[in-house]
Amino acid sequence: MNSPSSAQMVILDRVRAAIAGIPAEPDAHPHPGYIRRGELDRHACLELMIERLREYNADVVECMPPDLPDCIEATLRASAHRTFLAPPGLPSDWRVSGFNWKIDTHLSYAEIEACDGVVTAAFAGIADSGTIVLHHSAAEGRRVLTLLPDWHLCILRTSQVVETLPEYFDRCPQPPALATYISGPSATADIEMTRIKGVHGPRFLNVLLVHDDAPGLRSTRNGDLG
Amino acid sequence: MRASLFITCYNDTLFPETGRAVVRLLERLGVTLDFNPEQTCCGQMHANTGFRAEAFSQAKRFVRLYQNAESVVIPSTSCVAMIRDQYPGLLQELGSDGQRKDLDALLPRVFELSEFLTDRLGVDDVGAYFPHRVTYHASCHGLRGLHVGDRPFRLLNKVRGLELIVLENLDRCCGFGGTFSIKNAEVSSAMLSAKLQDVLSTRAEYCTALDNSCLMHLGGALHRGFAAMRTVHLAEILASSESVPAESFA
Amino acid sequence: MRGETTHSVVLDPRTAPPFPEAALPILRNTQLRKNVAHATDVIQAKRARLVVEKIDWQELRSAAAAIKNEALAHLDQYLTEFATRCTAAGGHVHWAADGEEARRIIIDILRAEKAAEVIKIKTMTSAEIELNPALESAGIHAIETDLAELILQLGDDEPSHIVAPALHVNRSQVREIFARRMGRADLSDDPEALTAAARSYLRGKFLSADAAISGANFLVAETGAVTIVESEGNGRMCLTLPRTLIALAGIEKVIPRFQDLEVLLQVLARSATGERMNPYSSVWTGVIPGDGPQNFHLVLLDNGRSSILAHPTGRQTLRCIRCAACQNTCPVYRQTGGHAYGSVYGGPIGAILTPQLMHLEHAQSLPYASSLCGACYEVCPVKINIPEVLIDLRAQVVDQERTRTARAFDLMYIAMRLANGVFASAWRFRWAQRFGRLALWPFTRKDGWIHALPSLGGRWTMTRDLRGLPRQSFRDWWAMRAKEKP
Repeated sequence: MNSPSSAQMVILDRVRAAIAGIPAEPDAHPHPGYIRRGELDRHACLELMIERLREYNADVVECMPPDLPDCIEATLRASAHRTFLAPPGLPSDWRVSGFNWKIDTHLSYAEIEACDGVVTAAFAGIADSGTIVLHHSAAEGRRVLTLLPDWHLCILRTSQVVETLPEYFDRCPQPPALATYISGPSATADIEMTRIKGVHGPRFLNVLLVHDDAPGLRSTRNGDLG
Repeated sequence: MRASLFITCYNDTLFPETGRAVVRLLERLGVTLDFNPEQTCCGQMHANTGFRAEAFSQAKRFVRLYQNAESVVIPSTSCVAMIRDQYPGLLQELGSDGQRKDLDALLPRVFELSEFLTDRLGVDDVGAYFPHRVTYHASCHGLRGLHVGDRPFRLLNKVRGLELIVLENLDRCCGFGGTFSIKNAEVSSAMLSAKLQDVLSTRAEYCTALDNSCLMHLGGALHRGFAAMRTVHLAEILASSESVPAESFA
Repeated sequence: MRGETTHSVVLDPRTAPPFPEAALPILRNTQLRKNVAHATDVIQAKRARLVVEKIDWQELRSAAAAIKNEALAHLDQYLTEFATRCTAAGGHVHWAADGEEARRIIIDILRAEKAAEVIKIKTMTSAEIELNPALESAGIHAIETDLAELILQLGDDEPSHIVAPALHVNRSQVREIFARRMGRADLSDDPEALTAAARSYLRGKFLSADAAISGANFLVAETGAVTIVESEGNGRMCLTLPRTLIALAGIEKVIPRFQDLEVLLQVLARSATGERMNPYSSVWTGVIPGDGPQNFHLVLLDNGRSSILAHPTGRQTLRCIRCAACQNTCPVYRQTGGHAYGSVYGGPIGAILTPQLMHLEHAQSLPYASSLCGACYEVCPVKINIPEVLIDLRAQVVDQERTRTARAFDLMYIAMRLANGVFASAWRFRWAQRFGRLALWPFTRKDGWIHALPSLGGRWTMTRDLRGLPRQSFRDWWAMRAKEKP
């Protein structure tokens, strides 16, 4: 709309009149009395990320960068699925052989639905809440790719993992135009507060945590590969 | 130490034994009490029902009456909450500069009973003896308005012979709410019914609190149901001793 | 109410019975009271655990309140900034002064898109403006995709809680609704099976719908982005799959900066569902080429919010982020559920928001639907002093009453005016005490207690006894004692 509608003018006039009496706040910006930076060391932070992910039934496997393609292959094989979606910017060596890859070049919903799962990168991980952050870059894919398939493998680098939500915001060079924050399986408690998982959205989330920022930092949990 | 007793309109009329207990207790602790016979009401009922102008006239009267008091002791958390939380706004809106000044000077000298004992007198042990099973209900105004915190517990824990049973959901409103108990009598009764479940399951002999308003509501239902439990204001427990037990005040 | 669906419920503050009257039949519905107590206990417990864990919880509350206050204090500026950026990003921003205008805008958009069916994400705002009936009248079929909203839609029911709208419905009632409306006589009442039935029922709708309608949790002025948080994934379906997306948002949803979400998301999830973050949170800005709806409309709704903004005490109501923590903790709501409030907004927030949205022309009983216990204020993530607003609204209701001739017949009004006269002097007060003693003496039994009173007093004695007025008031005892002393 080029010229403001009459409703816009009416509303803004009302708003201006309403706020005219509000005294000016001495300090308009919120006081950062809350915690912004976490206190955990890297090892503990990653441990926390893994713990939170597993709390919501995500399958987490750790590996070192040189072993990544083998880990991907093992994870895909373990899923017993054949056809996987790949965002157009997914590194080609992640599209391991032995599987049917469909690269998303304007695929239709039907074609997406016909695939068993999807493999993507991520923008960040937030350990405190076990959140996977997608900014839907070329390697993460458009939103529908991580929405329609029932199985999602997300490859997250440890250098992408922060402890707190404010730390994630500090990480953003500028606010993303598009973002999806995944902190649990789709769930509802609408029937008698009974928690049922997997309503809409992928029911199976797998995370491959690639230790790319500090050599030798590996958890001693099950699932260690390589 | 001197203090002025503000008995509150409903204690004066309905629960004089609480007032007598306060007098007995504070005099035993060496306080010289006075009672301004001009006192009536703090204005809470009117303020909370929406009669602001009326509440204001009662508020300014209160401030005037106690201008020169060394301390004002009030055995009711809801009345103290009214004075602390609502008087400033009322006088800001409807009062004069002079009245606001008087209020500001008065506020630090107003105490709810348990506050007066623990903060002003600095005592937890008031020399009380009350050999009964007792449960304590945390009146909302005391809990969230005044933040009395653990004061009642500190006082109760020092009462000889008293067995304190913790009330489940002790911070849940009993449903009195002033005129709410009349305007929304059914809902108030439903809340009371839920509260009674917790109170009765303590199998205590007495249910106590800092406010007779809650206790009137709880006690009224206990009496209606022939329950083997009674209500008693904390002042009466604290005033009770071997030589002068609580019953003699009734 | 045992296993049957509820009759068709309509929540309209303009026609709803006063709260005490509306609450009465609901109080007799023990199934509902059990459901509400259970649901609110579950969420409260989850919330409490996370609040204890979050050592900067009070600082976060202060920051959240400060962010919302800042947004409200400069709302014209932030609304304009939001609209400009959203438009620059390819969105169409519409302004609706009231619900009727919003409905018209939305229907016009859908007609232009030739959409006969539209999928919806749960949005209380659309219920506030009674959108679904208007869509039906315009020949557009709206399908609720949130499980709770789906249950309510198929059951011809209305929401009773802001975050868990169907918490008053139990599993056998859901089974009956699904069997009847989805043609699924085979279904058991196991929540797992019922949810699976909803999942397959909706899957086809998600993939074929041309248009979707959503609300919005936050509108980011700095970037023109919209934020929606959810648990089920139906939101992501609606926001991503159709060609056209219409988001309806109250003007108070605007926040200044993207970074403000680092506070608001932390307090919202913990308060609403007792989680550190909602399972899915989505942020999008206008139209993203090649990803999601290519036709995006945002409808900014006033509908009374600007008049709330003008009021110094009531203004804080607009800080609300719709978490429903107040509902979960309210001892009144615990007994009555949401329908008693006669509005899609029930509980403590409803008691202050609905009357104000109605400019106090309706819903005047709602500010009195509270014992002023303050539990809501304690849990509100944006520190709305709900008791303060309730008392202020009560004063406004009474001021209205003062001008009505009917007040001469209102027992409560008369009693309050009389009481004020009595409290004005100690002399009058003492005489009122004597009069009271006299008047109550005939009702006082041998044990000194009153069992039944007429009129207003009967509202007390219907469930409680009242101890008779003692012969000697405290002040009389004090005076007597002073005489006895040397």
